[in-house]
Amino acid sequence: MATPQQLQLLAPLSGVLMELDEVPDPVFSGRVIGDGLCIDPTSSTLCAPLAGIISNVQASGHAVSITDDHGVQVLMHIGLDTVNLAGQGFTSLVEEGQRVAAGQALIEFDADYIARHARSLLTLMLVVSGEPFTWLSAPSGRVESGQPLLELAAVQAISEVAVAEEGQVLFSQTLRLPNPNGLHARPAAVFAQAAKGFGASICLHKQQSQANAKSLVAIMALQTAFGDSVQVSAVGADADAAINTLTRLLAEGCGETVAAVAPVEVVEVETLTLLRGVCASPGSALGQVVQISEPVFDVSEFGGGADVEREAFANALIEADLALQHLRDTAAGEAEAEIFKAHQELLEDPGLLDQAQALISAGKSAAFAWRSATDETAAMFRQLGSALLAERAADLTDVGRRVLKLLLGVGEQALELPQGSILIADQLTPSQTARIDTSKVLGFATVGGGATSHVAILARACGLPSICGVPVQMLALSNGTQVLLDADKGELQVRPDPATIHQWQARHTQQRQRHEHELANATLAARTRDGHHVEVSANVASFSETEQAMASGGAGVGLLRSEFLYIGRNHAPSHDEQVATYNAIARCVGSAHNLVVRTLDVGGDKPLAYVPMDSETNPFLGVRGIRLCLERPQLLREQFRAMLGCCDLTRLHIMLPMVTQLSELRQARQMLDEEVLALGLTERPKLGIMIEVPAAALMADLFAPLVDFFSIGTNDLTQYTLAMDRDHPRLASQADSFHPSVLRLIAMTVKAAHAHDKWVGVCGAMASERLAVPLLLGLGVDELSVSVPMIASVKATVRELALADCQIIAQQVLGLESAGQVREALQLFHEATVDTLRVLEN
Amino acid sequence: MFDQLQKAFWKALTPDLVADTPKAPAEPTGELSAAIVAALGGVDNLQSQQPLALTRVRVVLRDVSSMDQQALSAAGIAGVMPLEGGVVHLITGLRP
Repeated sequence: MATPQQLQLLAPLSGVLMELDEVPDPVFSGRVIGDGLCIDPTSSTLCAPLAGIISNVQASGHAVSITDDHGVQVLMHIGLDTVNLAGQGFTSLVEEGQRVAAGQALIEFDADYIARHARSLLTLMLVVSGEPFTWLSAPSGRVESGQPLLELAAVQAISEVAVAEEGQVLFSQTLRLPNPNGLHARPAAVFAQAAKGFGASICLHKQQSQANAKSLVAIMALQTAFGDSVQVSAVGADADAAINTLTRLLAEGCGETVAAVAPVEVVEVETLTLLRGVCASPGSALGQVVQISEPVFDVSEFGGGADVEREAFANALIEADLALQHLRDTAAGEAEAEIFKAHQELLEDPGLLDQAQALISAGKSAAFAWRSATDETAAMFRQLGSALLAERAADLTDVGRRVLKLLLGVGEQALELPQGSILIADQLTPSQTARIDTSKVLGFATVGGGATSHVAILARACGLPSICGVPVQMLALSNGTQVLLDADKGELQVRPDPATIHQWQARHTQQRQRHEHELANATLAARTRDGHHVEVSANVASFSETEQAMASGGAGVGLLRSEFLYIGRNHAPSHDEQVATYNAIARCVGSAHNLVVRTLDVGGDKPLAYVPMDSETNPFLGVRGIRLCLERPQLLREQFRAMLGCCDLTRLHIMLPMVTQLSELRQARQMLDEEVLALGLTERPKLGIMIEVPAAALMADLFAPLVDFFSIGTNDLTQYTLAMDRDHPRLASQADSFHPSVLRLIAMTVKAAHAHDKWVGVCGAMASERLAVPLLLGLGVDELSVSVPMIASVKATVRELALADCQIIAQQVLGLESAGQVREALQLFHEATVDTLRVLEN
Repeated sequence: MFDQLQKAFWKALTPDLVADTPKAPAEPTGELSAAIVAALGGVDNLQSQQPLALTRVRVVLRDVSSMDQQALSAAGIAGVMPLEGGVVHLITGLRP
């Protein structure tokens, strides 16, 4: 190769030169990206300082790099922190891969806009490839665009001898970029600089693309964005160390301040005394911290050939399926068993399997292929922004790890827990929770997850307190630290002082005694001190729950969710099967009590396998409840017929969900009447509607004459009134049924119903909250339908109250401005009436 | 006239949407030296001035043609960038 000519770099702009050392940005002044010069521009078209190929234009248009035929690479970066402008004010005139002549216009910019919106207009021209240079003019003062400025020393053919590195390629775990603008010039420079410190050859991967981690431009060309999933791979002697250092650097933001995953300072942890989260399962406990974390596995990219890997993969899938079946069979409750069933289904997901098989065919190891497939799909789920899908991502990761461990021969070990553990984790996977010996656990606290997460389900099933949404600093608490977990308040107290512990113990003992007392008196009637009777019935979804409800003092069933007959099967239940089930439940309830059966309440958010439904962009506002049933009248008629079969065994009430229009009620009423007639029944059952859409509450006066009763579904009513998803990780705590707007809708509904002599029940979660009992009674609610374990407690609460007091407090809280204020007022009411009463009685 | 009435009407209805007319700075010369102000065509020609972007002073001139670039250089201005609408950026160097 002929020795290349000496290369001159032209001024890319007119302006005033500034010493690189003076540039108020450490990445540039420290020459982290490379040496070069800085111009404060007086022209507004950036021109090519040399001929070459555009090796990268940032999507935001504020930076461009050119590589010439000898490998000289020059980066131009217009302004400081201009990446934050997200392209505003910049017009790129060239495209990546385009060949440009020296002096050709590259980027036009609006100098006035940038001056007014960014930190500075100071523009950098840096020799990224590192050739030394000499100045052709004075290194200060004015320059004109196109004027020769620098001369590069003869270009050494830096034959980066492509020694194909021997050895295994190691991959890091996948991590998500915390940088708000992805790896733009500055963080990319810091990353590349760090990578250059290692002998190993290192790659940064983003989905299918990869970049040489030591090349700033290559990293920038990946065009990463906030939250992108990336991976580092390395091959060579110090590959391990390189991966460790570089993943840590990425997680910390490569020198940028990043909010989400800021490194936790030790000092901070010592001063941590109180961490707040959201209650996922009520209760409280004093115990010691046990941190649960998952180890990271090293996975080699290539395996022993496609056939070997394919066989290993098939075996691992079979083993994982068997293990999941075992977990399913031995699961504590139905909910848990369902989770593992879902996991088994994921193992058969054709999308995942195809993805993994394709990678294996391409020569990758089974472990690598499987991990790539599950990680990518999980990342996709998380990016879709739905809380529900994000939790499916957690499932996918969990199944992913289960199979990966089998492939790598890492055994599943039972977690060794000391007595009195309070488990702390980022998120607990179902597989982890299944290995936990709950007899040694007193509670859970997690960073991730919501009320529907697995740990919440498990905690509720075991009656253990649990909070979620706790700040990430919690993960820095050392094992053995004493903590007081108060899930009722959503708090984790670190190293509580003896006075706090004493107070808690006193309160805890009192609660336990109260609970025992309540259970002993569960069969007593729910009558207030001034003689007002309230029906306390149960929300159930199976025959066995109905049995439990009646045994724990329930006055009938206030909500039978008929979905249980349909969900989790591939064909509709037969008429006989439905009749038999309703009959058994009706007999259990008996003729002295109400049995309120809700017609099928499914929709896009909880689809049925055998009822094809269009996927909807917003299922909660889509075809659910009565809307679906009226679209498929046959389904509803069959349900009516089956329910009518138990008419003379109990006081049958049929309830329609999600009613919004009067016409919906009229249509359903007509269908029911036709079925009653067809069966030759002399008496028609009671028909009522759920009040869970604000429209129904607002029009309750028009609905009331047409129904026999109302039942308020506070969960949906709250979500629709406040326009907040109750499972939203950040809004869940605000989506509170105690909001005065929801209370006013309840008051309105009751008033309209009573004007027509109809009764009103509440079957949402609110009825099961003891704090809400005086409020609902005071608003005039006639029936509280609560979860089975709460029956005794709610009845006991009713017996402690006087209706007259309840009416006063209810009127007062209707005028408050927030759910927080309502809760506070009710707490004061509770202390002033119930607690005082108990003191007086003792 | 009608325009003004209409604007006042809109402003009364939606005070957030109609921006206040920027008040003329009490002392439009700010930190600019007398020599610089003179080179810009005098204080009467200077509609506004605002230091920004670390190294610049953004001035708005009523008549750009009365600006004397050589005199600005002599007054210590390292660079001048005339822009649209009477806007001129004076490069004054990094402010401490």
